[in-house]
Amino acid sequence: MKKQSHFIAFCAIIIALSAGLNSCSKTIDEPQLSAYAPTSVDEKAGTWKTYVLTAPTDVTVAAPAAISSADYLAEVASLKQKAASLSSAQQDAVTYWGAGAVFRWNEIARELSARYNIPPASTPDGKYPVPDAANPLADPKFPFSNPPYTARALAYLSVAQYDALVSAWHYKYLYNRVAPGKTDATIKPLLPVSSLPSYPSEDAVVAAASAVILKAMFPGEVAYLDAKLAEHRDSRLWAGMNVESDLTAGVALGNAVAAKVMARAKVDGMSAANNQTVTAGMIQGAKERGLADVWVSQETPARPPMLPNYGAVQTWNFDKTTLIKLRPGPPPALNSPEFTTALDELKQINKSQTRDQARIANYWSDGAGSYTPPGHWHRTAANAAHDAQYSEVRMARTLALLGTAEMDAAIACWDAKYYYYYPRPQQFGVKTSVGLPNFPSYASGHSTFSGAAATVLSSIFPDKAKDFDDEANEASTSRIYGLIHYRFDSATGLVHGNNIGSYAVTRAKADGSGL
Amino acid sequence: MKAILKQLHIALLLAPFAAQAQMPNDAIYMGKNQLCVAGMYSHSSWNQYWENTLKRENFNIGTQTTQSAMIMPAFGISKRVNVIMSLPYVWTSTSAGNLMGQKGIQDVSAWLKVKALIVGGFSLHAIVGGSIPVGDYVPDFMPMSIGMQCRTATGRLMANYKHPKTGLYLTAYGSYGWRSNAKSDRDAYQADDRVYNTNQIRVPNTYDAAVRLGILRRGWQTEVWAERVACLNGDNIRRNDMPFLTNNMQATSVGWYGKFQPHTIGVNARVGYVVDGLNVGQSTSYTVGVLYQISFKK
Repeated sequence: MKKQSHFIAFCAIIIALSAGLNSCSKTIDEPQLSAYAPTSVDEKAGTWKTYVLTAPTDVTVAAPAAISSADYLAEVASLKQKAASLSSAQQDAVTYWGAGAVFRWNEIARELSARYNIPPASTPDGKYPVPDAANPLADPKFPFSNPPYTARALAYLSVAQYDALVSAWHYKYLYNRVAPGKTDATIKPLLPVSSLPSYPSEDAVVAAASAVILKAMFPGEVAYLDAKLAEHRDSRLWAGMNVESDLTAGVALGNAVAAKVMARAKVDGMSAANNQTVTAGMIQGAKERGLADVWVSQETPARPPMLPNYGAVQTWNFDKTTLIKLRPGPPPALNSPEFTTALDELKQINKSQTRDQARIANYWSDGAGSYTPPGHWHRTAANAAHDAQYSEVRMARTLALLGTAEMDAAIACWDAKYYYYYPRPQQFGVKTSVGLPNFPSYASGHSTFSGAAATVLSSIFPDKAKDFDDEANEASTSRIYGLIHYRFDSATGLVHGNNIGSYAVTRAKADGSGL
Repeated sequence: MKAILKQLHIALLLAPFAAQAQMPNDAIYMGKNQLCVAGMYSHSSWNQYWENTLKRENFNIGTQTTQSAMIMPAFGISKRVNVIMSLPYVWTSTSAGNLMGQKGIQDVSAWLKVKALIVGGFSLHAIVGGSIPVGDYVPDFMPMSIGMQCRTATGRLMANYKHPKTGLYLTAYGSYGWRSNAKSDRDAYQADDRVYNTNQIRVPNTYDAAVRLGILRRGWQTEVWAERVACLNGDNIRRNDMPFLTNNMQATSVGWYGKFQPHTIGVNARVGYVVDGLNVGQSTSYTVGVLYQISFKK
């Protein structure tokens, strides 16, 4: 009897357990983005000022076939045939890309940045091998997509998308071929159709231009990017949004514009950004200006500093004279009361970091394995532009303004960091709760990126200006809470970033968009 | 003391598995209305770990150490049904580099152990347990985090044979462990070769299996054990990256356990060593405890 009751209890436990486990869902909720018809199609965008193109007609797009032509009608018939037998994977692709061409390719670029954002491991002989673009998937993988690298990759991506779309808009309104859903009532497009002419396809333009840039920036991902490009292109047919000739012309335009943008990238100085021979002169200069202890790598074995010559890379929104003019004034001397106060603040946090300080430090950490602060701000901008239901070209303009400002911020910040060569708090016994970047302290990169981003985005989305400023301030302060920056690093970086961002704002006011 | 939870620190790398440190894994029961309170100190450290399958050292960590102090009451509802609870305070440190140590109260656990079947010297046991985070610690600053900030539920089946005359025993068990999602301070993170745009992190479920061979006599016990604890899925630590909550952590450990408790007060000790693993540290761990038994008259 007793035995029996225990056996029943045992069975009950097993049943309860399996029932309990079944009801414990482990789903993860990620934001779902839906398609929209833009609040404005920005029909004058063909006249907006481009970055690399001298005119939207730098690349020629041939006139399309008339909608009454046999060729066009055959393309429309093919669309109907495809729509009749869509697989669920094809429908998913339509939904995915329907969230926005610029939006999705920006997201893909951020994801690649995160996946490649790992510093190389040291070898047994205590050296750090340099990633090799010719052998991108070897260990260490190429690139090491650190913040300056990511800032640059995203800048070129956004500029190529923007210039290609300005050109596309020019041809769209030159040829005025309407979307297939409007020429044939039996076509039922799966996405909202606006009044935007469909030739050349803006989606194909963005997909092709993005793939060219990202294949150059992430050469180990060619197959992945080709697959994304093909899916994006085909999704427009499956959705009944574009005919084949819209896409062919769009891909050709995107490729041609991106090639011109890559021509700038190839000679912008990035190839010399990791020139380690310049550091001796930088250290000497900092010492001559009175710095008692220069920055030293805190890693074992000592790692060469990240991209010491990145400050020499070509800027977007101002020239090199302005870069020097914008450079922050010197940090406090290491024997000054200001320095002692700042270091004491960090020692105090080191002793008793609050949970809220840790939360803020973690939220903005954007360290190894993440898409870095420039990626974080690109996400913020892309989400804001999506919420505002921007057209593709206006979304691209937003991200190009932000992207160029972020790359300018990276260049100017790196220039200052290596000019001053200032030691990190860890050289004075402070630990970190977020991981220590391997380059000099002054001024804070997070703060510079965030200051620049908040200035640009506040100008574009004035209603959200306070949010962006608050976020920039928090991102800046997070580096103090994470114990890797003195308060003056952060405060100076934020102002420096604001100043850098204002040049992108000046450009925005004069780019012919009237926005 | 009759019932003991040993096994602090399965001592997988990275503090997280310390979350499972208090698993009832023996066939010993408290008598009815008997309470045993154990205070335990545990120390686990490694200077090599498996980054995916690559066994490596890390000069910027040196030796990683996780220590904990735990209070663990066990109570006999009947001589065949026991309840066991535990609550550890955990702290971490490294011997090199500049990662800040973390400290705090971790997760509270509770277990119900039932002796379901007895046939001669053979017995079959069903054990269910669960844990809930108590401290508001940071879960994804690994390997410094003190826990994984997720709820767990574990079901275990255990078989035991004890030779009545000699006290020689053999115990074997297997378990399935469910773990809830964890929440990060960040709202985007990388796992499974992609970026998740959310603060929710899917922590893999686990299984474990163990055999233990020992002698149990009145007042003392000695035992050797081997154990495997592993996730059912998960990703691997990326090359030269830090571990993460989504990693497929696996470890095979061996060790010894002993107890001496002539009367109401006793001591116990446990040592363990990870012989093979994936995405975990090759920990060496030890635990020492003081046991105090109280009988409540009915």
